[in-house]
Amino acid sequence: MAEPDSYEAAVERLEEIIDRLDSNQAGLRETLELCREGRELVTYCAAELDAVGAGLQELRLDELAAKLEQAPP
Amino acid sequence: MELPGPFPVGRYAKTLRDELRKRARVQLIGEVTGLRQTRKQTYFELRDSEGAVPCTVWANELERMELPDGALRDGAEFVAAGGPDYFIGSPTSSPGFSFRVTHLRLAGEGDLLARLEALRKQLRAEGLFELQKQLPRPLLPRAIGVVTAESGAARRDLLAGLRRRGWAGKVVWAFAPVQDRRAAPAIGAAIQDLAARPEVEAIVVTRGGGSLADLWAFCDETLCRTVAMLRVPVLSAVGHERDSTLIDDVAAVACSTPTHAAEAAVPLDCIEARRGLERCAGSLRRAGESAIGVRSRHLVALARGPARALRRERAALNQKTRELRAASERRVGERLSFQRRIALVVLDRVGRRAVQGAAAEALGNRRRSATIDRSAAAALRARREALRRAAVALRAHDPERTLERGYALAEDAGGEPVTSAAAALAAERVGLRFADGRVKARIERPDGGT
Repeated sequence: MAEPDSYEAAVERLEEIIDRLDSNQAGLRETLELCREGRELVTYCAAELDAVGAGLQELRLDELAAKLEQAPP
Repeated sequence: MELPGPFPVGRYAKTLRDELRKRARVQLIGEVTGLRQTRKQTYFELRDSEGAVPCTVWANELERMELPDGALRDGAEFVAAGGPDYFIGSPTSSPGFSFRVTHLRLAGEGDLLARLEALRKQLRAEGLFELQKQLPRPLLPRAIGVVTAESGAARRDLLAGLRRRGWAGKVVWAFAPVQDRRAAPAIGAAIQDLAARPEVEAIVVTRGGGSLADLWAFCDETLCRTVAMLRVPVLSAVGHERDSTLIDDVAAVACSTPTHAAEAAVPLDCIEARRGLERCAGSLRRAGESAIGVRSRHLVALARGPARALRRERAALNQKTRELRAASERRVGERLSFQRRIALVVLDRVGRRAVQGAAAEALGNRRRSATIDRSAAAALRARREALRRAAVALRAHDPERTLERGYALAEDAGGEPVTSAAAALAAERVGLRFADGRVKARIERPDGGT
């Protein structure tokens, strides 16, 4: 499976998958494929949430700008 | 073309001053900047985004106006009444134009609203309200920029709102004054700096409540045009719910409070999203398990089905076999006794018939035997007669009998009959057998030669 473009896309696809599974229309092979893809999406989403969940970090724009100026070109 | 003059400059300056003083007195509205006071006069500029006019007020007139303490300050919106004037200069001071203010009051809501409405109409007509609203806003930004005052409730409320959301990404603070004439350009610059940082996916501009005059920086035309053209979504949370500034109109989302801005900046409730993900993972796991479980149970049932059916069939078959055996045993018994009876009858009948047949046969045989005996005797007689006749015929042909009748038989040296003259000639010597014995003879040609 290709990496989703965004959290939104991942969640949208995940909802599609759950709907499809809930419909009981999917065959065994499709169900297992959907479950595999769904698990990957859940992992991706969880990682995205983790990326913004490591603790709120506060930065100051003026300090960032100062750092940029100090950095060698 | 020949111009009039030259006139003495002092007289011209006075004429200019007089002409200007004749002009209609008006009221001007704008922001006070460059405020400075001397003992005799107060100087400032009244300006807005399009231009400015230098103003002067006599100290004694200013005192009479009874403005609240500190009301006249840089950044404040004022309505100034007066007219143009010209100071012709003095030996110690330079000449200059100014707007002579005879009355000064803080700009009221009405004045500001009227200006705001005109500006709003213009920006809307230019389509600037729609640009930000068309930008996609990420559900889960990794970093958001915030323009606000360094010290203030807005900063604290926004942070609390973000934490409540369970969001803990990066907040890039760009602190700026939020209430004076420096505010609008500083806010504009901060927004642009934040937008230039690639990780910043949304920008919140916020400050607490205040009068429209306090919030006036957020109605600045240049600032609002900057926001409208920005490619990063800007979320405004300026003042309280009832306050409506121009930046609210051009921003992607106008929020009533910093807390609301936190929710708009991070549309995803991360805490709820985590729960939702857990639910998704759960239902995926269940779907996966049941996909296999249900099918395997079904398979097991199916697999068990034939065996069960087989057992059932086998039992039925066994039962049938037993019934059949019982039935056949019964039938065989009946059949056997029946057949035995039949056989006895038949045997009896056959035996009797055989005995009768044998008796009849014996009788016949006896009859046939007599007939045969008779036939045999007749045949014997006939054969004896035939034999006798044959003997007679044979005897008639016996050469011995012929010799008896006076004939002789010529034989060669080997005893073989010589039956022709030529053979006799060839043999030269022959024997002649008569009935009573043999003699030798020499053959001579009838003409006398040998």
